[in-house]
Amino acid sequence: MPASAGSPTNPAARLLNLVIALVNTNASMTKQQIRASVAGYGDAPSPDAFERMFERDKDTLRELGIPIVTVDAGGHADEVGYRIDQDAYALPAVDLTPAELGVLALAAQFWQDKTLRTDISRALTKLRAAGAGETAMDVVAGLAPRVRPVGDAYGTLMDAISARRAVSFTYRAASTGEVRSRRVQPWRIAARRGGWYLVGFDLDRGAPRSYRLSRVEGRVRATGPRDAFEVPVDVDVDAALGSRDAGGVARLAVVPERAGALRARGTVVGSVPDARAGDGAGRDVLEVPYDVRYAMADEVVGYGDAVLVLGPPDLREAVVRRLRAAAALVLPAGSGSAEVGERG
Amino acid sequence: MAERADDRLVRLLGIVAYLDGAGPVPVGELARHFGVSERQVLDDVDALWVSGTPGYWPDDLIDFDADSFERGVVRLTEARGMTRPLRLGTREAVALIAALRAMRETAAVQADPERAGVVESVLRKLTDATGEAAAALDVQLAPEGDRRVVAAVTSALVAGHRLRIRYVTAADEESEREIDPVSLHTQDEHAYLLAWCHRARGRRTFRVDRILAATELDQPVEGHDVDPDVDFTPTGDAPLATITFASPARAVAEQVPVESVRNLPDGAFEVRLRVTNPVWLRQLLTERARHVLAVEPAAVAQDVREAASAALAAYAHLPADPVDGPGAGARAAG
Repeated sequence: MPASAGSPTNPAARLLNLVIALVNTNASMTKQQIRASVAGYGDAPSPDAFERMFERDKDTLRELGIPIVTVDAGGHADEVGYRIDQDAYALPAVDLTPAELGVLALAAQFWQDKTLRTDISRALTKLRAAGAGETAMDVVAGLAPRVRPVGDAYGTLMDAISARRAVSFTYRAASTGEVRSRRVQPWRIAARRGGWYLVGFDLDRGAPRSYRLSRVEGRVRATGPRDAFEVPVDVDVDAALGSRDAGGVARLAVVPERAGALRARGTVVGSVPDARAGDGAGRDVLEVPYDVRYAMADEVVGYGDAVLVLGPPDLREAVVRRLRAAAALVLPAGSGSAEVGERG
Repeated sequence: MAERADDRLVRLLGIVAYLDGAGPVPVGELARHFGVSERQVLDDVDALWVSGTPGYWPDDLIDFDADSFERGVVRLTEARGMTRPLRLGTREAVALIAALRAMRETAAVQADPERAGVVESVLRKLTDATGEAAAALDVQLAPEGDRRVVAAVTSALVAGHRLRIRYVTAADEESEREIDPVSLHTQDEHAYLLAWCHRARGRRTFRVDRILAATELDQPVEGHDVDPDVDFTPTGDAPLATITFASPARAVAEQVPVESVRNLPDGAFEVRLRVTNPVWLRQLLTERARHVLAVEPAAVAQDVREAASAALAAYAHLPADPVDGPGAGARAAG
């Protein structure tokens, strides 16, 4: 062997030589041929070590989108041959303009997780290999779309969704704080309003459920066989997270000149007298559409007595409930400024 | 070097496929194209040069023009059949498509037809190339704010123009100021505009949904040295508050910039945070009051109780909802 193929211990060089060998082989190569002739595999000190090395390399290549296929090598009955079919791994022609490459460069900054960063930068390396020239950023100048890190569970969950395997994890319920083990067929990973969620089918409850990933304690494990279920074609993430049917139009009584941020999203439709203020003083009646009731309630309570809810009643109740709790914040039970009046 | 073998393999194969189509490419340009250092490209070429098909005689190896390489230009002369770029793996396609889809829906992209068109076309080309729809990951970014405001902001960013804005703070104080926009950070919960503020003579971050109006001026921005990190943590000078939340408020620990989180029995947890903005803390505690178990210092809790009591008192004087409108239907139902 005239040239040593890279440093003998360099796994990238070994993988590269394996790919080149299996793409160029006439029919296929047996394991023995691979061990004897492909640079890097001669380092394996024993047949077992070679087996482990080769299995790991096959997995790595499959994850990279380079599937190794097995064929009957002929000859001995149990002799299996390996090769790589280039048509199976080739990227279809993608012709990207400089501005489109600029958009991709921006997308490369999108994820904050190491796992997702690795995935997307590898995608970009592959697309760059497909040609494409200059990158032009002017059309997206100054934009910086970002999403907060999803966390360690991502890789396991995404692989489980792809393989359609069930997962199990320990979960802390929002309402009770109770910790329990869950078995779930994972369908979607979703980010909404600052939170990351898993949407799937809960095997113990026999119904679709959503889970906030920050409430998962410890590791997520894939359990059970591959192809164990079908992901429904039309998973409605927003419906699963219960964030679609709680919207409406808030009718707010706002002190004049206040709450500019709410006014910017709404319309003043009239006024109501303010019994506590002097003669003629009143509040503007402002109508503001909202998508999510609890988020609107959170926003409104932030204004204290400057913004009151006239309706709808469920929003008003949500706000008053927050105010009552806040009026008694960390006071011992029964010492009650919570009695301060609020009518029906 | 800590690079993973699989990442390097993708680039090694990528360089061969790229050079096969591109012809001779200077080392510096090749490094920029793949986003790595020139040193790395030289190492990669060295690794490729000794790789090939079993036998590894000169004719078996990937080969480059040595004379041209001496002059700093990489010219591939033998690809050993490795000319086809790799298709995207499932996870790679998922990461890419989900990012692009989330970007497409933002007001910052939609504000300009050309920009929206570019994102749409790259998404279409890649969805064609990757085959399967990458729906397993579904990310929605925050609605930035008023469309006219976002249009003026993004236009000023592209043109490098100063903006005049009317802004309302978390404490509900309105002001008018001129700013040099630096970058628009559309995140999953809120969108922020990072800028140099001429009124404050310093770097400021503005929440886009609190920019009430924005006008792009003809004046070009000045070259200020602005730290581009929008997620900067409050300085150590601000007073510390310690708050214990019950389990249901768990999301606070991930959504709010805290100094530390300590887990307690029963899922309760204690956070320590810097109070750079007392109004913001009052809002946080009011929103989450049901789940607050302890607050230190006590004056913070007192402030929250007084504000909430004042609001409850105001409800006592509020007349019945007088106007028929969209709210009226919900009232009848309730």
